[in-house]
Amino acid sequence: MEQQSTAYEVLSPWAKADPISLHGLAPRLNKVDGKTIGLLCNNKRAAPLILEITEKLLKERFPTASISRFKSQTFSVSALEKEREGEFNDWINEVDAVIAAVGD
Amino acid sequence: MYDAIYIEDKGKPTVTYIFEHFYNDSMSAASSKGMPVIRVVPEAIVSESTMREYIATEITTVFDDIISAVTRPLTAEEKSPQRHEPENPPRLVFKGNLAEVNQFFYRRGWTDGLPVIPPTEEAVAEILTGTDLPADHLVAKIEPRLGKATVETIAVNAVMAGCLPTYMPLLIAGVQAFAANPGPAMMAVSTGSWAPFWLVNGIVAADINLNCSYGAASPGDIANATIGRAMGLIIKNVCGIRKKIEDMGVYGNPGKYSFVAAENEANSPWEPLHVERGFSKDDSTITLTFPQSFQQMLPFSTDAKGILATVVGSIVPARFGLFTLVLTPNNAQSLANEGWSKQAVKEYIIKNTRVHEDYYRRLGLDAPQASEQNTFLAVSSGSEIFHPTKSGPDPVHIYVYGGFGSWMGFLQGGPSPITKKVDLPKNWVQLVKKFKNIVPNYVRY
Repeated sequence: MEQQSTAYEVLSPWAKADPISLHGLAPRLNKVDGKTIGLLCNNKRAAPLILEITEKLLKERFPTASISRFKSQTFSVSALEKEREGEFNDWINEVDAVIAAVGD
Repeated sequence: MYDAIYIEDKGKPTVTYIFEHFYNDSMSAASSKGMPVIRVVPEAIVSESTMREYIATEITTVFDDIISAVTRPLTAEEKSPQRHEPENPPRLVFKGNLAEVNQFFYRRGWTDGLPVIPPTEEAVAEILTGTDLPADHLVAKIEPRLGKATVETIAVNAVMAGCLPTYMPLLIAGVQAFAANPGPAMMAVSTGSWAPFWLVNGIVAADINLNCSYGAASPGDIANATIGRAMGLIIKNVCGIRKKIEDMGVYGNPGKYSFVAAENEANSPWEPLHVERGFSKDDSTITLTFPQSFQQMLPFSTDAKGILATVVGSIVPARFGLFTLVLTPNNAQSLANEGWSKQAVKEYIIKNTRVHEDYYRRLGLDAPQASEQNTFLAVSSGSEIFHPTKSGPDPVHIYVYGGFGSWMGFLQGGPSPITKKVDLPKNWVQLVKKFKNIVPNYVRY
């Protein structure tokens, strides 16, 4: 009963965080035909299957679009594969838009 | 999501398929990186599924949404998202009795489900006597939320968990280990329910009565119980990894409550783990690994032949990452008596843990060809169970802890260990004297 009548003024355990500068999205494509669509696949095992079907559908629906693939060796190229940053940037420069499958 | 954000920042429109149950997780990741408006397309493909026909049906169903996401003009909010202030509650956040404080914290999602000790100014001030660092000292910002792990925030969570002041040096080093690379946060959110295992070496272990012997990883010792618990609260309240929001572990893992032991250095025939990892014997350290499971096995016999045969005969393929053999002091001594060094045992396990060449063929499977494709977590490849990777050049480790007994322990999976030195405060001797006699005294019945 004593515990129930004692008042405890308590500190927050939720860590402070700095405001984050927000980024907008890149402009969208006006069409898919004739564009190079990048397919980005991480190392989760559903991801290649998802993109295999995606590529098939893209080719059916947009026959003049071209496809370029990039395979991450981990969950994330940008977070975990710093040694591949140049290769990744080169690939991004080559494509007009990216469809990513992360297998989750 | 991090890659999608990276690509958007390079000026290329991106859309990501997301399993519908992971929508909140993906949005937390996007917000933490400053892109809360990122476009994703939820689908119903269960994580890690390999069901080709099912995947084809689901992708066909949402394909129009994918095309729309790369072509539909941006809204004003998507072009220029409104400034979003992270939730920063006031330092003194609530006043109430014990039950009210607990209900308030529980409803805010700040506990592990067990009751907490109210983190009052007085209680936090006492915990802070365990470090020479000032309360506002920033130890790390930890992904994914990039919460600031200040010494005071660590102390608040330590009070809640029931820690004593003498645990603060270990908690600070534990935070440094967790923040050392992106690996721990990725393991903590994973569907695989990986749980942190903390191994402590050096004089600090005995000073705080951290159990290294019988039942080290079982409940009953305040240091073992509350250090892991405090780190679990920090992972939740600083990193921002909450169950079913960011932590998408499918089964969950009891190790996430607390899984802490000290190495049984006094009874080990070999050099302690921290010395093996380049620290001085006089240093105290904490080592973080993220195993998925803890399995126990009785060896065929307790000589070297029986111990090693049991290890190599019990490890199955499809394992992910590190394997840590946990030896009791007497099993370690048996090996050492027959001339086995720790390194020799590791090399024996790597060389001899294999599957038969026809193993996969008999089961109608293709042998996995992981090899160097996966540089983060090693997976079985062909007949090899263990093979080094760039980030895991040493796939087998050995810890010696536990009481005297013949059982062996297998900590399965996870990335390479991270070890951090524990810095003790100047008043350490006095602090130890003040708190070391807090031990359970079991009455014989």
